[in-house]
Amino acid sequence: MNIANVSRRNFLKGSGVFVIGAALPARANLPDGSVTAAFEPNLFVALDTDGTLTVTSHRSEMGQGIRTAIAQVVADELDADWSRVKLAQAPGDAKYGDQNTDGSRSILMNYDRLRDAGAAARLMLRQAAAAKWGVPLDEVSAENHKVAHAGSGQSADYGELAADAATLPVPEKVSRKSEAEHRFIGKPVVHVDNGDIARGKGNYGADVKLPNMATAVIVRCPWLGGGVAKVADPAPRPGLIGLEVIDPAPPAGPMFAPWGGVAVLAEDTWTALSVARELDIEWTASPNQSFGSEPLTAELKAMLESPGQTLFDIGNVDAAFDSDGQELSAVYETPFLGHMPMEPPAAVASVEDGKCQVFASVQDPQSTRGLVSQYLSMPLENVDIRVTLLGGAFGRKSKPDFVLEAVELSKRLKRPVRVQWTREDDVRHDYYHAASAQFHRAMVDEKGHPTAWLQRTAFPSITTVFSGQALMPAEWELEMGFTNLPYRVSNQRMESAGIRPGVRVGWMRSVCNIFHSFSANVFADEMAALGGRDAIEHRLEMLAEGGEMEVPGMQPPPGHAMDIGRLRHVIEKVRELSEWDRERPEGTGLGFAVHHSFRSYVAVVLEARMEAGRPKVTNSYVALDCGTHVNPDTCAAQMEGAVVFGLSLALDGEITMKDGIVEQSNFHDYPMLRMNEAPPTKVHVVPSQGRLPAGVGEPGVPPVAPALSNALFAATGTRYRSLPIRMA
Amino acid sequence: MRYELSVNGQTVAVDVAPDTPMLWVLRDHLDLTGTKYGCGGGYCGACTIYVDGNIARSCQTPVSTVADKAISTIEALHENHPKLVEVWEANNVPQCGYCHSGQLMAAAALLDRNDSPTDADINAAMTGNICRCGTYTRIRAAIHEVAAYDATATGSEEDAA
Ligand code: FES
Ligand code: FES
Repeated sequence: MNIANVSRRNFLKGSGVFVIGAALPARANLPDGSVTAAFEPNLFVALDTDGTLTVTSHRSEMGQGIRTAIAQVVADELDADWSRVKLAQAPGDAKYGDQNTDGSRSILMNYDRLRDAGAAARLMLRQAAAAKWGVPLDEVSAENHKVAHAGSGQSADYGELAADAATLPVPEKVSRKSEAEHRFIGKPVVHVDNGDIARGKGNYGADVKLPNMATAVIVRCPWLGGGVAKVADPAPRPGLIGLEVIDPAPPAGPMFAPWGGVAVLAEDTWTALSVARELDIEWTASPNQSFGSEPLTAELKAMLESPGQTLFDIGNVDAAFDSDGQELSAVYETPFLGHMPMEPPAAVASVEDGKCQVFASVQDPQSTRGLVSQYLSMPLENVDIRVTLLGGAFGRKSKPDFVLEAVELSKRLKRPVRVQWTREDDVRHDYYHAASAQFHRAMVDEKGHPTAWLQRTAFPSITTVFSGQALMPAEWELEMGFTNLPYRVSNQRMESAGIRPGVRVGWMRSVCNIFHSFSANVFADEMAALGGRDAIEHRLEMLAEGGEMEVPGMQPPPGHAMDIGRLRHVIEKVRELSEWDRERPEGTGLGFAVHHSFRSYVAVVLEARMEAGRPKVTNSYVALDCGTHVNPDTCAAQMEGAVVFGLSLALDGEITMKDGIVEQSNFHDYPMLRMNEAPPTKVHVVPSQGRLPAGVGEPGVPPVAPALSNALFAATGTRYRSLPIRMA
Repeated sequence: MRYELSVNGQTVAVDVAPDTPMLWVLRDHLDLTGTKYGCGGGYCGACTIYVDGNIARSCQTPVSTVADKAISTIEALHENHPKLVEVWEANNVPQCGYCHSGQLMAAAALLDRNDSPTDADINAAMTGNICRCGTYTRIRAAIHEVAAYDATATGSEEDAA
């Protein structure tokens, strides 16, 4: 991970930029560190004597509403007045427990803990009041930021009790409210950051400014593993500080280290961008220059022609294929995809006096802290990682390569540095969602049901970014919609194959579920069509018998099982919501898909037709069962967003590489769904309070693309087995 | 070059290269970071501002072209469009929020010239603004809601008059 300072040219320091006239609003834009208040019974609650309740969010906010959800849970158990709740954002620190905001599990991992934090504070405030008034604790109630004693008519604001409560021991066990007593949990609360966002005051990674901060734009080698052979000096210009050469990460290690390139350092972004654009750089070679996405896909498809590694094998698939019956087989393929969060990666770092402070839009401040500490050989306690709002992330900002770039440059420059990725950088140097191919083969009975089913999947594994040796898909990737399908067939075999890519691959919103759900849902639809069956009726029959099906869980708690009854329920719900049986106009088709991921159950119906040679989705319907949820409106919003995300990838998402170089660069050649193509979305959130909280951010995505393919089949009679869906 | 600019009703001066886009003038030099960088190529609308009341992509607007014009940004939007901002908040329209400076500016501009936009009008006015989080259905609903509110509000004023 070391970076040689090959070249260091200092040009004339930037000429000043000054502001005259009336003062513009000063910005106080640094995200919080630790909070201090009169009463801090635990990590999440800080109550001041004026009654201000500051709730600390230790998870990163990227639009999934987690800051609001955390505050809802704590404030509910604490019986706080919502108008007096403020949010603080925790820095990366192991004391908070897991802060890795991915895998759609923030509520699952923290729900009870947050409830206890609120409940403990509430109990202590009541205890403080009881002691102060000399009355029994059980006669003292707490409601809406006040403790009251009915008998004596006394009452006190939480703020007045903060100092007293702070002297009490923190209870080890507290009782939590019942569901009926909840005031914020399970309610459609308005998100805490909306007000700032709607006034242009939301603070994202790129918005942080430190005194004496320089800005860096980095021109990275077009291929992975290449570095700088030669770079010509740019002409001096006002504002330009100089160039710094960054060496590429060694090929074998985890690929979170900076990518090889030339950093242009300037006093302002435009100067850096302008110089970066004109740099004349010669790059060093890398074996990845022979990499292409087209040959990779061809290779993946070739792999599907012979047996892979067997993951699951019951009955006798081969014998079944030799028997009589209708045979169906199909190959599916999906491309590399980019995350493309609306905010390209940006980070500010200040390395000074043996300390490092970072402000960045990162999903996991704790692992970022560890990596920075390692990178600088600096004790962990000297590294402070502050988390801004994330302008979208989708998994991209779990990888802190952009933070390490800022850290390296600040270290060299001895002043704070902001690294600003351009959109082009983002598109060309992402950790791509892996391209994949699947082969399905089945013997199908007269009702369209498989009596034997062989499935093969092949894709470059995410583990290849962690280790130079990795090759085969990991078990956890295969548990994403492949080995954990809810259908049990008497003869069934599943196999996998892997390949090393010449690019960085990484997890993107719902990860391998995207392609596994696509192939399985389309193939199921193909079986239904072969049997001349209604797709939903057919699918309900295909579900495994019984209530629960054991699925290897991604995360705690252990023993979490797929509940076939809940899966059945969301299918029935989406049938109802979409009025599945209602006749649609000629040329319009309905497509159905269902998927279980991140412990949630999601069924989708899309209504679509062809319009001027392009699919047009006219309506979308989603039924979600995510167990206990904190904010049903957030759940609905995440499903609405998932439809758009899923349609973007189904209609246009494709990153291609040739000679190791990514061929796309910005929104014109990697388009996103826009307003004119966004369908109305109806969402049903299954009331499921009392069950384990499950994921919301990711599980809406996997059923969308297959539902579109199936809808287009219903509309046109043509099967679309590749993504993005392209008209012949 | 030194430029005197009118931004959100205030006069300010900056010393920058003439080709510096207003996006970076606002963000780097005037500390108005509400205007966002999303693509730098005119594709996404995250950087939307008003120049003399008209929508402009600030990443495509060199400072040298606006020195004598009135510039306004998201930071000032709520002053003239309080209802829009209120509905945006109350309906949980934003997710990550990064695109919403631009979405709000585009929505306000639409409502300024069309007090009862149809879905087709909304498509025409808003299709230049990408939202990667996919908040389009809520943006559409919020615009309709503000238009309906304005219609009632104007109606009652007329009644009173
Ligand atoms: S940043 Fe200006 S249009 Fe995207
Ligand atoms: S809300 Fe995240 S990009 Fe629009």
